Amino acid sequence: MNALDVTLWVIVPYVSLTVFVLGHVWRYRYDKFGWTTRSSQMYESRLLRIGSPLFHFGILVVALGHIGGLVIPKSWTEALGVSEEAYHLSAIVLGTIAGVCTVAGMAILIYRRRTVGPVFTATTRNDKLMYALLALTILLGLAATVMANIVGGGYDYRTTISPWFRSIFYLQPEGSLMAGAPLLFKLHALSALVLFAVWPFTRLVHMLTAPVGYLTRPYIVYRSREDRAGSQPPRRGWEPIGRP
Amino acid sequence: MSRIDGPVDDALLKLGRHLRRGQVGEDLRTLHQIGGRRGDVFYRDRWSHDKVVRSTHGVNCTGSCSWKVYVKDGIITWEAQQTDYPSVGGDRPEYEPRGCPRGAAFSWYTYSPTRVRFPYARGVLVEMYREAKARLGDPVAAWAEITSDPDKRRRYQSIRGKGGLVRVTWEEAAEIVAAAHVHTIKTYGPDRVAGFSPIPAMSMASHAVGARFISMIGGTMLSFYDWYADLPVASPQVFGDQTDVPESADWWDAAYLMLWGSNVPVTRTPDAHYMAEARYRGQKVVVMAPDYNDAAKFADEWLAPHPGTDGALAMAMGHVILKEFFVERETPHFVDYVKRFTDLPFLVRLREHDGGGYVPGKFLTAADLGEEGEEAAFKTVLLDRRTGEPVVPGGSLGFRYSEEGQGRWNLDLGDVDPTLTLIDEEEAVPVSLPRFDPAAEAEDGGGVLHRGVPVRRVGGHLVTTVFDLLLAQYGVGRDGMPGQWPAGYDDPAVPYTPAWQEKITSVPAAAAARIAREFARNAEESKGRSMIILGAGTNHWFHSDTMYRAFLALVTLTGCQGVNGGGWAHYVGQEKCRPITGWAQLAFGLDWKRPPRQMIGTAYFYLHTDQWRYDAHTADVVASPLGSGVFNGKTSVDLLSQSARMGWMPSYPTFNRNSLDLADEAEASGREAGPYIAEQVQAGELGFACEDPDAPENWPRVLTVWRANLLGSSAKGNEYFLRHLLGTDSSVRAEELGPDQRPKDVTWREEGPRGKLDLLLSLDFRMTSTTLFSDIVLPAATWYEKHDLSSTDMHPFVHAFTPAIDPPWQTRTDFAAFHAIAKAFSTLARTHLGVRKDLVAAPLLHDTPDELANPHGLVRDWRETGQTPVPGRTFPKVVVVERDYGAIAEQMAALGPLADRLGATTKGITFDVEAEVERLRRINGTVHGGVAEGRPSLATDVQMCETILALSGTTNGHLAAQGFATLARRTGTDMSGLADEHRQITFADTQARPVPVITSPEWSGSETDGRRYSAFTINLEHRKPWHTLTGRQHFYLDHDWMQEAGETMPVYRPPLNTAALVDAAAGAGDGVAVRYLTPHSKWSIHSEYQDNLLMLTLSRGGPTIWMSPADAARAGISDNDWVEAVNRNGVVVARAVVSHRMPDGTVYMYHAQERVVDVPKSETSGRRGGIHNSLTRLLLKPTHLIGGYAQLSFAFNYLGPTGHQRDEITVIRRRSQEVDY
Repeated sequence: MNALDVTLWVIVPYVSLTVFVLGHVWRYRYDKFGWTTRSSQMYESRLLRIGSPLFHFGILVVALGHIGGLVIPKSWTEALGVSEEAYHLSAIVLGTIAGVCTVAGMAILIYRRRTVGPVFTATTRNDKLMYALLALTILLGLAATVMANIVGGGYDYRTTISPWFRSIFYLQPEGSLMAGAPLLFKLHALSALVLFAVWPFTRLVHMLTAPVGYLTRPYIVYRSREDRAGSQPPRRGWEPIGRP
Repeated sequence: MSRIDGPVDDALLKLGRHLRRGQVGEDLRTLHQIGGRRGDVFYRDRWSHDKVVRSTHGVNCTGSCSWKVYVKDGIITWEAQQTDYPSVGGDRPEYEPRGCPRGAAFSWYTYSPTRVRFPYARGVLVEMYREAKARLGDPVAAWAEITSDPDKRRRYQSIRGKGGLVRVTWEEAAEIVAAAHVHTIKTYGPDRVAGFSPIPAMSMASHAVGARFISMIGGTMLSFYDWYADLPVASPQVFGDQTDVPESADWWDAAYLMLWGSNVPVTRTPDAHYMAEARYRGQKVVVMAPDYNDAAKFADEWLAPHPGTDGALAMAMGHVILKEFFVERETPHFVDYVKRFTDLPFLVRLREHDGGGYVPGKFLTAADLGEEGEEAAFKTVLLDRRTGEPVVPGGSLGFRYSEEGQGRWNLDLGDVDPTLTLIDEEEAVPVSLPRFDPAAEAEDGGGVLHRGVPVRRVGGHLVTTVFDLLLAQYGVGRDGMPGQWPAGYDDPAVPYTPAWQEKITSVPAAAAARIAREFARNAEESKGRSMIILGAGTNHWFHSDTMYRAFLALVTLTGCQGVNGGGWAHYVGQEKCRPITGWAQLAFGLDWKRPPRQMIGTAYFYLHTDQWRYDAHTADVVASPLGSGVFNGKTSVDLLSQSARMGWMPSYPTFNRNSLDLADEAEASGREAGPYIAEQVQAGELGFACEDPDAPENWPRVLTVWRANLLGSSAKGNEYFLRHLLGTDSSVRAEELGPDQRPKDVTWREEGPRGKLDLLLSLDFRMTSTTLFSDIVLPAATWYEKHDLSSTDMHPFVHAFTPAIDPPWQTRTDFAAFHAIAKAFSTLARTHLGVRKDLVAAPLLHDTPDELANPHGLVRDWRETGQTPVPGRTFPKVVVVERDYGAIAEQMAALGPLADRLGATTKGITFDVEAEVERLRRINGTVHGGVAEGRPSLATDVQMCETILALSGTTNGHLAAQGFATLARRTGTDMSGLADEHRQITFADTQARPVPVITSPEWSGSETDGRRYSAFTINLEHRKPWHTLTGRQHFYLDHDWMQEAGETMPVYRPPLNTAALVDAAAGAGDGVAVRYLTPHSKWSIHSEYQDNLLMLTLSRGGPTIWMSPADAARAGISDNDWVEAVNRNGVVVARAVVSHRMPDGTVYMYHAQERVVDVPKSETSGRRGGIHNSLTRLLLKPTHLIGGYAQLSFAFNYLGPTGHQRDEITVIRRRSQEVDY
């Protein structure tokens, strides 16, 4: 394992994940009012209504797929009697549907963002960078899958990439596992790491605060006062008189 | 419990019960939680302010709304509308709610980046001053050196407006200002010092303190009402009154309301609710506006005449009313009204015209019938219908000042029944009448109509009535009358039929006739409750006075004027300083020196910004084809100097020598000053400054601007101001006049001077165009930081400004600033000036016997006749005033002795204020020691406010009652009951709550017993004459110059530049030639608030020009594109707002969008892209210069040429979208 591999597969992941975690903490503490999707629904909703669910449901399935593929060791699925072929087939079918949804949704959203004047005007440089990284990561991931499975003879990332990924969290990084992976997988992983690093500083923070609670919450919320009703911290000034 | 949602929703909500703390209600609709309300603290805290203070918004809004200002921890936090206006009675809506988003945004300024926090001075100037002062050891000598060295002048003048202001101390700033004043007075004369501050009603003490300083040192206060073109000149012409209009609660009384060129929801926002509410009472609202404006949205009907053609529509409506309500059917109410309250029954002599036929001449007067005495020429005559004999009724000007007129100056006709028309006479002759509509040239006779009027001979004179002339003028034919008459309403060829106006205005003839009929029918049935609200849309034109006379004809013919709910309601920069007597006494220092110097602002700026050097319009442009040619070949500036030398209009600087030296010379000659000066002038030894305005000794030298934004708001011809008055860069594109176009009576200097002003001083709380160009900027307190008084004509209350906080940083109230200047001035003046005599040339004044100077309105120009000028008759009055320059500060701070010795006079009524002065001694305390020993103190702003209230009838019932008693002696009519309450309003009262004012002879309407104010109700109900020649409302004006202009009667005159518009369109290239209008905006009050962050977020922000989609398409402009508007006067860069509400051929650049927000560089000039006034310029209308004759006499802000700006055109094109700042 040469120095480049160490840098790419050991140092970069830790830096990226550290920034990801600390960045969110920092953002939450210092920019609570800025913690937002910066929704552009007010400017345009026709395209958004198609593109946004398409993308979000797609990316959710893709995310679940990644968890399944990266986090769950191959030995566990095999122990359950899921053969490599069965696993692979289900991953390809589900992944293709989700991938197509994601890419189509993203295409609609990017098209909308660029062509609808008010939406484009409300697009910051930060947004543009985020879109570029997100799109790159998704497209690289898709390309890697397509090249490996459809054009090539298939690649079992669960023997290389997944253990490497888990090794990072065991704090025993095995960068050498990645050294032999196909180029597109490497690029996909790298762009994802960069994306994680900028994540806390973009509108992607909304992932952590998706309003799922609304699904189960009644519309009307009453809050009665606590026991210390009406009191507030004393303000600067003379000491109050009259009370012993 | 019935289910509201589907099973899935319910399942989710049920699940939610287990996922969070708190109690979910049985119906799954509610969640009860305990605590978690820390966020409330913020909102709770907001309302735990420390104090609430009553104040209002100062100078530039006429709303005069009372506001609560909230203060917390010594910081102004926000403001909210006061709700405690006294009730206007149970039968109508209240004044509350009152306010608008602009006022609610004001407190932003207090701590904003645009706030002026420290005194500033131009850095180069300060360096030179300090160096010179250190070397010469004297501030005055230092100032003299800097301003007399051409190189040093250039160094600081040429960088005006380009930054370079540095902080200085108050002491140094006051010293420089004082030195400039002392040097100017000593070297050039006190009338080379001027002050500009408008609209005293909206902070009377702040205005008065500065005006007091300027006036007491002999400086010139510049008028603003006429300069702003807000003065409707028709008001002095028709009513002999500056402007008097109903309060907004009286709109409720109107049954028929026309809004003509007035966008009430936008420009009178706090009052607009009355318009909306009155519609629920059944009022019909008709809006006349060229664009689909906010008022049009409220209208039952919207008529859209082309801009500037409103006069044609009004003339056609007058035609319909005269025909249907006077000729075809005599309406008793109307006929009775016009006989008693208008000049219609009065007799006019007909004069044979050189071109054959007759023209209307002068009013027949008692002098024509052989009566002796000076006043006889001012007693007009009518015929008694019962006897057929001529009668001289009381009430005309001839009864106003004379001994024998005592008790007869009234509108009582006794048994006399005036003859309205001579139609029953045998004889009729054709008279020639001018017409000015565009079709006039094509018609036979080229602009002259020949129409018959019935006549008879009285005392050897061929006469007819004004009414008969009016019918001829309007083209209302009667059987047996010779001449050209329209065939009917549908005759488009002959003025002034509905079909004729349709060609001009585009308003359908049938609609014009129908609205006129409805208006008059309503007036007949409601006894005068038809009202016209008028606005700047019709008042800012060159020929607005003719438009307004056509409008006023509608309300006067129908008996609406002087009736609650009826008449004209002109709301354009109107400034009703209700406690006017007290304010005027203090503002002009009348308690120490009389007369003050007061100048017509438009003429002042026209001369001193050298706009006359570019003005190729000659006075014959306004001349009638029937005129005698006295205007021929004369430029406006020729007529201006003629008006000045005859004493018609004031002219400061007056002479080409120092008035202090002239006073000494006159004294040395051992003769009376008046005749001495007159002879000197006639002999050519002494010249008028206005006849050589470019000579350095005649330049204005020091100008102080406070409570105003001259260069960002009102300076028509902005680029000329920059070039000539200030001497800095400008974008003037016009050529100066060629040799054959130049004035005859005014000296032409080859080089137009650059930089006449030595010192431009401004006091403001925010950075404006004016402060940016100033040499010294003093930081002023805002309206939430001082004591003052406010009143308006929109409501009948007077209320206070109160400081919510002390002026922060180094800011000071205007009161404190001017006293600091006065102290510094007095210190330097004591040695440099001492006690001096000052020779003041004063014009012939309205509401004084000066009105009798020119019988029959004849022009008596001594220079043309070669006669010796007579001061006070054919020449300005000459008065020598003594000024103790070392004691100015002391005098300013005390009420002087002339107040009780000579009394306080308003509109011809002199109040004896001796008792009030005595009371003020006790309230304010007296001064100990010095020149003002024992006089009531004026050392604080509160004392000043108290004095204003004590010395005015509207706020002091004793004076109101006294004034009515004085008036009743002259009129001989019963004025009792108008002001019996003897109520006294103190400053503390106005701080507690808005206080209704008291009915007073200072104004023409009655508010007694809680009545709503409407103008001229006292005239109608107590038979008090108007302050005019006949004592009635005038349709006919017989002054020589009015005849020369063809404007003796209401007439249609089209906007200027109509032909030029066609030429410009031909040469517009890739742009489009359009009419350029600058109406008032929704997002600002003049320049105020257009830079306010809160208001900027409510509009597009930055400079914009509104245009129609068709115009935009022609020039390839899309909405929000950067465009450039160019004409001879300058360049403006703005963004286009393309809106279908705009009419084709016209663009709007909302007024007073200043250079301080988002103004890029222009492609055309390479300089900063101008402001709304970069495209405008001044033109003088000669008839506004008339003086010395009855109601056509000067008074400050009462009469003078208007600084209108609507007749301008421009070419607009799309520019590069890359802008550079």
